[in-house]
Amino acid sequence: MWAYVLRRLLVTIPTVLAVVTLCYMLLHLTPGGPFDAEMKVSDAVLANLQAKYHLDQPLWKQYLYYLDSLLHGDLGASFRYADWSVNDLVARALPVSLVIGGTGLVIAVLAGIALGIVAALRQNTVVDYVVMLLANIGSVLPSFVLGPVLVLVFAITLPWLPSGGWDDFAPRYMVLPIALLTLINVAIIGRIMRGSLIEVMSSNFIRTARAKGLPMRVVVLRHALRPALLPVVSVIGPLAISSITSAIVTESWFSLPGLGKLIVNGASDRDYTLVLGLVVLVTVMAVLLNLIVDLAYAWLDPKIRY
Amino acid sequence: MTSSYTAARLTKARPEPTAMTLRRLSFSSLVLGVFAATAHAASIPPGTPLAAKQEMVRNNGAEPESLDPALTESVNAAEIERDLFEGLTATDHHGNAVPGVAESWKQTAPDTWVFKLRRNATWTNGQPVTADDFVYAWRRFMDPKTAAKLAATFSVYLANGAEVVAGKKPPTELGVRAIDKQTLEVRSAGPVPFLPDVFASAQFAPVSKAVVDRLGKDWTKPGNLVGNGAYVLKDWQVNSKVVVEKNPGYWDAANVQLTRVTYFCVEDGNADLKLYQSGEEDYMQQLPPGVYTSLKAQYPREMHNSALLGLRFYALNNADPLLKDVRVRKALSMVIDRDILASKVTADGQAPLYGLAVKGLAAIQQTRYDWADWPMDKRVAEARKLLAEAGVKPGTRVKFTYNNSDYHKKMAIFAASEWKTKLGLDTDMDSLEFKVLIRKRHDGDFQIARHGWVATFNDATIFLTLLQCASDANDDRSCNKAADALIAQGNASTDPARRTALLTQAAKLAMDDYPMIPLLQYSVPRLVKPWIGGYDDANPLDRYRSKDFYILKH
Repeated sequence: MWAYVLRRLLVTIPTVLAVVTLCYMLLHLTPGGPFDAEMKVSDAVLANLQAKYHLDQPLWKQYLYYLDSLLHGDLGASFRYADWSVNDLVARALPVSLVIGGTGLVIAVLAGIALGIVAALRQNTVVDYVVMLLANIGSVLPSFVLGPVLVLVFAITLPWLPSGGWDDFAPRYMVLPIALLTLINVAIIGRIMRGSLIEVMSSNFIRTARAKGLPMRVVVLRHALRPALLPVVSVIGPLAISSITSAIVTESWFSLPGLGKLIVNGASDRDYTLVLGLVVLVTVMAVLLNLIVDLAYAWLDPKIRY
Repeated sequence: MTSSYTAARLTKARPEPTAMTLRRLSFSSLVLGVFAATAHAASIPPGTPLAAKQEMVRNNGAEPESLDPALTESVNAAEIERDLFEGLTATDHHGNAVPGVAESWKQTAPDTWVFKLRRNATWTNGQPVTADDFVYAWRRFMDPKTAAKLAATFSVYLANGAEVVAGKKPPTELGVRAIDKQTLEVRSAGPVPFLPDVFASAQFAPVSKAVVDRLGKDWTKPGNLVGNGAYVLKDWQVNSKVVVEKNPGYWDAANVQLTRVTYFCVEDGNADLKLYQSGEEDYMQQLPPGVYTSLKAQYPREMHNSALLGLRFYALNNADPLLKDVRVRKALSMVIDRDILASKVTADGQAPLYGLAVKGLAAIQQTRYDWADWPMDKRVAEARKLLAEAGVKPGTRVKFTYNNSDYHKKMAIFAASEWKTKLGLDTDMDSLEFKVLIRKRHDGDFQIARHGWVATFNDATIFLTLLQCASDANDDRSCNKAADALIAQGNASTDPARRTALLTQAAKLAMDDYPMIPLLQYSVPRLVKPWIGGYDDANPLDRYRSKDFYILKH
C-alpha cells in the first residue's frame, strides 16, 4: 500500500505543473491587467510597475521565473496586496478557512450520517419524511438565502451573535458561518447516506445476518454501515475542497478573511501570482483529499486492495 | 470599482492632470500668499457630554492595498493612512487644507513655496519629524524603482517630477529641498495655487528613512510601522480589519478624543448594512443600491448623504464612425431625463448634472446646457432633427458598454429606453467585468461606456483632465484646442478670479462639443450612529480623520 501512496504523491508533481501551466496561460489571455484602473496609468508608471514585477520579460521567461520561485516554496509577491507576499496571505487565510470549513464539514458528516441512518431505518414513515424534508430544504436553499436568514434571526432579531466579522478565532464569530456550511452539507450527506443504507439493507448478506437472529443494532453498525458509507466517502473529498477553499458566498456574507475572499479578489484584480498560488494550494489539497478518500475505500471495503 | 461587489460604490478615479501646461510668471506679477493657522481638531461644542469609552468602528469599504503612503492608490487605504501619518497639510471635514506638520507656509515666488514645520512633531519612535523626512519620502514616491501607481499623477505639480518618474532625471533633482530641519522649500512645475491641497494627499506623507531601510517591505506591519499621525497601528488582519490606537506622542494629542478606531474592510454593501444594523459598526461605508428611500424613513437621524466632488457620466467615443458627428452626440445627451434618472432610477439622493463641473468644485463655475431647461418635448424634437441632419435613421444600433452590476445595469436600461422611445435608436448592451471594461475604454474599443470620476482634491483641473487633448484621462478621444489653450492660460494665472473665469470658459467650450454625457453628481449615502460626533454633511471629499470624531454620551 505504501508504494501506492508514494506513487500517488509523485503524480501530484506533474498534476500541479499541468494545472499551473494551464492557469498561467489562461490568466495572461484574460483581457484586462493588474494595473488597469479607472484612470489609465501613464506609460512611465506602467513601465516601472512592469519592471518591478518582471512583467516586462517575455512570457516564457516570466513563467520559468515563476516556476523557479515555486520550487523554492515562494509563491511570489501579490499585486493587489502590495505589503504582503502570497505566502503571507495564504498563511493567514488558510487557518481561517480550515477551521470554518473543516468544522462545518465534520459536523455535517456526523450529523448527515446519523440522520441518513435514522431515515433509512424508518423508511417511508413520518420520521423519514420529516428528515428528508429538512434535507431537501437544505439542498434547495442556496447559501446566499440561508446566510441572510441565519443573520436575520440570530444576529438582528435576536442579537445573540455577531452578524459577521472575524477576531482571531474568537468562537462567537465562527458560530454562524459554521452553522451555514453545516446546513448546506448535512443535507447532501444525509440524502446520500439514506439512499445508500436502504440499498445495503436489502442486500443478501444483511438478510443472512438478520436470519442469524442478530439484533438490529449489530446488523446496522457491524455489517451495513461500512459498505453504506462508500458513496458518502466519495462526496466528502469534493465537499471538503469546496468548504475550505471556495466558500466564497459564506466568506463574503460573513466578512471572513479566508481563502474564498482571496480567490475572488485575486481573480477580479488580475493578481496573477495570488491566483496561481491559490491554484497550487487547491490542486495539492485536491490530490491529497482524493488520496485519503481512496485509502478510506480500502478500509471500508475489504475487496479493495492497492 | 469591481462590479462583482456592489454597484453604487464610487469608482476610484485617479485624476491625472498631465496635460496641464504651466507657464512661469515673472515674480513681480505674483501676489505673495502666506498661511498660518492654529491646530484644527475635533471641534466639540462647549458643554457636549462625551461618553467614557471613546472607541469607534468604521467600515472602510475595502482592504487597503498597502499602508505605505507611496504605494497607496485607493481612497480606502488613504483614509487609514491619514490617521497613521500626517503630511505638511491635512484635509478637514469641509475638504479644506489645514495645517498638518507644517504650521505655516508662504509662496515666495510663482513656483516656490516655503513650509515651516512645527517643532513638536515627532515619529511614534520619539524621533523628531524633520524636513529631510519629507524630502526622502517624496523622492522615494517619485523614484521609478518604487513603481508608485500615482507617481505620474502627482509628479506634474513638482519641478522635474515628470522627468524623475520617467527615469530621465535622478530623484535628487525633484523640486524639494530641506533648508533646515524645520524648513522645506518646494518648487512646483509652474504656479500651482492649490499646492497645499495636493500635499494633504496621503501619498505626500513623510516616511522615516531609517525604518524603511531597516525593515524593507515589512515596515508597514503592526509593531514595525513608525508613523507621525494621531494614531498608531495596533493590528492588521488582512481582509478583516485594521485597528489603530491613539498616539500619545502626537503634537495635538490633547485634542484627539477617540482612543481606538477599528476599520472594517467589508466591500459587500449588504454585509456592510447588516453589520451596521446588528450594532457591529458605528459607521458604514455606503448603502447598497435600492434601499436609500426605505432606510431613510427607517433611520431618519442616522441617514447622511453628502454630495461628493464626483461626476457620473457616459463616455462617448468621439473617434467612432457614428459618434464622430457632434450632432449625434448632442442628440444622445439631450434626451436623457436626468431628473427621472436621479429621482426614480438611482433614487439615492444624487443630483442631476448638465455640465462638467459638479457643485462645490473650486476654481470653476457650474455651467449648464441651455436645453436643460427646455420642456422634454422640445428637447426630443431638436434631438430628432439633429439626428436627421446627421443622416442617422431610426433603428440604427448603438453599443453601450458597462461593468456588470445591478446599479449600472439599471441606469443603462434607462438610457437605452430613452434612446429607443425618444430617438428610435436600438441599444446593444455589453455587460463586462470591470477590468475588461476599463481596458476597452482606455483602448478606445467602445461606442458608449459607463464612466465615473471622483476628485482627490478640490480643484477644477481634476475634471478638466477628462477633456484635454493629450490627457491620459481622456477616454473620449475628444480634443478642443481652444479649450486647451484657455486651460493653460488659466493655470498660468496667479489671479484666482481670472483663473476661475478662464477654466469655466474652457469647460463650457469643450462641453459644447458634447465629448461625453454628464449625468449625475455622486453622493455618499451612509448610516452613522447618532452618538458619533464630528460627522459633517458638507464634506465634498468624504475624508474623515478619526481625530475629528468623538463619541457622545448615550
